[in-house]
Amino acid sequence: MRFWKELVKGLWKENPIFRLVLGMCPTLAVTTSLENALGMGVAATFVLICSNMVISAIRGVVPSKVRIPCYIVVIATFVTLVDLVMNAYAPELHASLGLFIPLIVVNCIILGRAEGFACKHSVLLSAADGIGMGLGFTLSLSILGICRELLGAGTITIWKGLPQLQIPGVTPISLMILAPGGFIALGSLLALMNHYQASVARRKGQTIPTPVNLDCRHCVICKWGQ
Amino acid sequence: MKEMLKLTLTLTLICLIAGGLLAGVDALTRDRIAEVNIQRRQKALEAVLPGTNQYDNIPMQEAVTVRHQERDWTFYTARKAGVFAGAAVETGSPNGYGGNIRLMFGFDAQGKSIGIAILEQKETPGLGANIDTPGFRDRLAGQDLQQTNWRVKKDGGDIDHITAATISSRAVTDAVREALEAYLANREAIENGGN
Repeated sequence: MRFWKELVKGLWKENPIFRLVLGMCPTLAVTTSLENALGMGVAATFVLICSNMVISAIRGVVPSKVRIPCYIVVIATFVTLVDLVMNAYAPELHASLGLFIPLIVVNCIILGRAEGFACKHSVLLSAADGIGMGLGFTLSLSILGICRELLGAGTITIWKGLPQLQIPGVTPISLMILAPGGFIALGSLLALMNHYQASVARRKGQTIPTPVNLDCRHCVICKWGQ
Repeated sequence: MKEMLKLTLTLTLICLIAGGLLAGVDALTRDRIAEVNIQRRQKALEAVLPGTNQYDNIPMQEAVTVRHQERDWTFYTARKAGVFAGAAVETGSPNGYGGNIRLMFGFDAQGKSIGIAILEQKETPGLGANIDTPGFRDRLAGQDLQQTNWRVKKDGGDIDHITAATISSRAVTDAVREALEAYLANREAIENGGN
């Protein structure tokens, strides 16, 4: 089914962080803990689904010359909505994410999906794309958040109200929750994913699936990249 | 010409709809947001004032504002039968590692600190953000207001700073010291309710 296909592709095949490598600013900034990663993921997913649907709905009306300003108005409106509603009904989360919510406006994933998908497909498929991309984004942020929080602070915080898990036997490496740790975790996970995909493809005797719009043909570091 | 009109109209229409929508949601959430902010402050106040059995007024409504070092300081005073029982003051420092830190600091009538409640901070999680853990908050509690040297140990004071988070600890400690200076300089006005 088409709907299902568009939804699932965001999780792995076109994962916004690890495959499309979009939205790196919020990714590196908020993944210092699992809680922040989840909050950012959920907020961005909501904006992504809404903006995808609205942009798809108005795609016949908006002249292509002013489409980018229109998209930005739509996205910014939903971001402000999330900001206000979260401030009113989830003040704790708003306090810890406050800085990052306005950043969703310029999150490349959202404008990227608007321009790359929603303006060419039906409302239903755009919603599927938004859900899939949002879930993929949330999942990837959470994995990064878990890695960094566990290594950097020795804890796992799922939500403020819930008890924080102290992981015994981990000596926290503060570097991991500082800015360099973000790059190290992201780079390592990207490398792991590429390595896995390359070795799966090699076992099947296939050529390496190149990432969408990217390829590593010019790179000679990895022996499977040829 | 016709095209230009169409572009302008489309964009204007979209902005109008967006503006209307936002105005509506703002109207719906405004009261609730104001309430949440008051609750947050109220919770912070309760955390740093003496136990509720030690005062019978509403400190939030008995604020005394004094001017010290060119800054306005608002002290929320707790009273039992009109007698000063303690106060809380909102203070802050722009010198945190991640920018502004705002906190509520409270003390009792006997001249002992009760503690701090962080209202706003953007410190590094796992390092500077630990200023908002009991481990650090307790170090500022139960201290004598005048005898204690309200500086971090690295600056020659009495407050044990968090390892690897000296800047955050210093910002908090300095914010408390400045508030205390304002209190000690205007002690009578604050304790008598500023009348």
